[in-house]
Amino acid sequence: MGQISLRSVCRTYASEAFSLTVLDAADLDIPDNAFAVICGPSGSGKSTLLNMIGALDRPDSGTITISGTDIATLNEKQLAKFRNETIGFVFQSFHLLPVLTAVENVAWPLYFQGVKRRERMEIAREKLALVGLSEHANKLPGKLSGGQRQRVAIARALVCNPRIILADEPTANLDRKTAQGVLDLISDLNAHHGVSFLCATHDNLVVEHARQIISLSEGKLHMQEVLNLSEVAQHA
Amino acid sequence: MLDLFYIAALNIFRNARRSTITILSIAVGCCALTCFGAFINFTFEGLRETTIRTQLGHMQIYAEGYWEKHVSDPASVMIHDVSTLETALEGIEGVSTVTHRVSFSGIGTTGQASVNMSVTGVDPLREMDFADFEIVVKGRNLLPGDTQVGVIGDELAKGLEAQIGDWVTVMTTSLDGMLNAVDFEIVGIVRTGSTEYDSVFAKVPSDLVQTVMDTTAVERVVVMLDNTADLPAQRPEIDATIAALPEAYETRQWNELAGFYEAVVSLYNGLFRIFSGIVAVVVMFSVANTMTMAVFERMGESGALRAIGATQGTTMQMFLNEGLFIGLLGGTVGVILSLLISWGIEMIGGIPMPPPPSMSQGYQAFLLMTPAVLAKGFVVSVAAALVSSIYPAWAASRVNIVEALQKPC
Repeated sequence: MGQISLRSVCRTYASEAFSLTVLDAADLDIPDNAFAVICGPSGSGKSTLLNMIGALDRPDSGTITISGTDIATLNEKQLAKFRNETIGFVFQSFHLLPVLTAVENVAWPLYFQGVKRRERMEIAREKLALVGLSEHANKLPGKLSGGQRQRVAIARALVCNPRIILADEPTANLDRKTAQGVLDLISDLNAHHGVSFLCATHDNLVVEHARQIISLSEGKLHMQEVLNLSEVAQHA
Repeated sequence: MLDLFYIAALNIFRNARRSTITILSIAVGCCALTCFGAFINFTFEGLRETTIRTQLGHMQIYAEGYWEKHVSDPASVMIHDVSTLETALEGIEGVSTVTHRVSFSGIGTTGQASVNMSVTGVDPLREMDFADFEIVVKGRNLLPGDTQVGVIGDELAKGLEAQIGDWVTVMTTSLDGMLNAVDFEIVGIVRTGSTEYDSVFAKVPSDLVQTVMDTTAVERVVVMLDNTADLPAQRPEIDATIAALPEAYETRQWNELAGFYEAVVSLYNGLFRIFSGIVAVVVMFSVANTMTMAVFERMGESGALRAIGATQGTTMQMFLNEGLFIGLLGGTVGVILSLLISWGIEMIGGIPMPPPPSMSQGYQAFLLMTPAVLAKGFVVSVAAALVSSIYPAWAASRVNIVEALQKPC
């Protein structure tokens, strides 16, 4: 069993007019320290899979286990704690709080752990430094570029030292150069800080950086291990 | 918790125009409530002081058993040793006036008409403080040394068709039931403030009343203090002083005797409660509208907060804090506005008001702002804002996270 494990997971969107099965008895095991991407066309269920792994959504049936915890057994409070401590989220539209500065945004998840403000801000500044935004710590999100906002979102996802970061289309709103910078950062965090990344994307640039590619087809999940260029060089 | 207040404060001013309008609507509600409360306070105070200083005093002292027997056997419940009682009460600090009264009801005439009268015998010297609150329409009030003269209410004067200098004859019975009559010359026509009282009121020297009632005793002793507010503190000393005297007495406080005052207070308090309810509803609609808009607009934010670890309770608390904050700001502005209005009315010399029901004259109204009335307005505003935030906050805490994340922040 991997760090993220899905067994016989089903998820169907049903309405009076139609019914769409996005996951049909899907199984998946993602190992520790993975850099995995979920590929598939729009509407194939990439975000749904990500949301279920992140305990934002529940499957109709089946079991999802994250780091040994069956998330179906958690109540609302435990789920909030689980999301806060175990998972970091990077959203496509960043979802930063516009009234808070970059450093306050990054520090905010620590509030839910009861960390005192001074300590929170200190940790948040460290994380901002990690993503190269020390100089922009006191700026509001509205004053930052798209790439900078995405970096703030990544710093926020990292601030609680989660074991897994889930990113939904992390480069969708970024130009190529900025996207490359964000991916370099993610790769570095994955390689040197032991953080697993699971990204839903149809951006080839992201796919090129991944070590595991998960394809979603007809409700089934298939994962294949890949070696990226640097690893090929190492093996050679 | 402070961090939640901090973010609530920041969020309020995201949509400054909308928040300002909401805060102003709360402020106007709070101001209306405090001004109405302050007007009622002023009315209560005016009515209370008029009642005390023209009729009742702060306390009245009777012979023991007076309230049981004053109709069936009035002779048995008269105060005989009045000078000892008055001297003892005068020695208490804070007591401004001690006087005695003896009264009877009878039928009076000047030869033109016969009407019911309530004649009160007073000591003109000791009665000076009470007389200050009577407005002399014609003639003069009683003076020390007066013997066979009296003043009457202006409504009674109309009923009797009496003028200054006319003689009134009043028929009544003495304490032992014998028919008797007394004459006095009208030296003054006064207004006490109460039309009802003015239509029966006659005041003469107590010796005259004692003569017609064939007694040397008095019916009651009236005590007036420097300040009405001191009564609760001074009551024990007055009671102790009376208890130490050889004769047995019973006492009544002014509010136990002022049925009209109590009825007015009850009526106005009822009106104030209804008005408070209306203001609270207006404030609630205004805040609920603002909070609902805020929740709807910040759906994506709520989803993001839940995704990064906020519990439903914390999310609800964040929005409740905003409602609370809006209420606190609106209440504070409302209180400041009320104080400014009160000061403005003071500056222009009051608002002219027509005579209240059963009163004989109009008056200049002011707003009597007290900490209690300001606190009431403030608390009602804040509570209404908080209560109206509950549902929007609850809705924000129950958003479907996935759906909420589809919305932008």
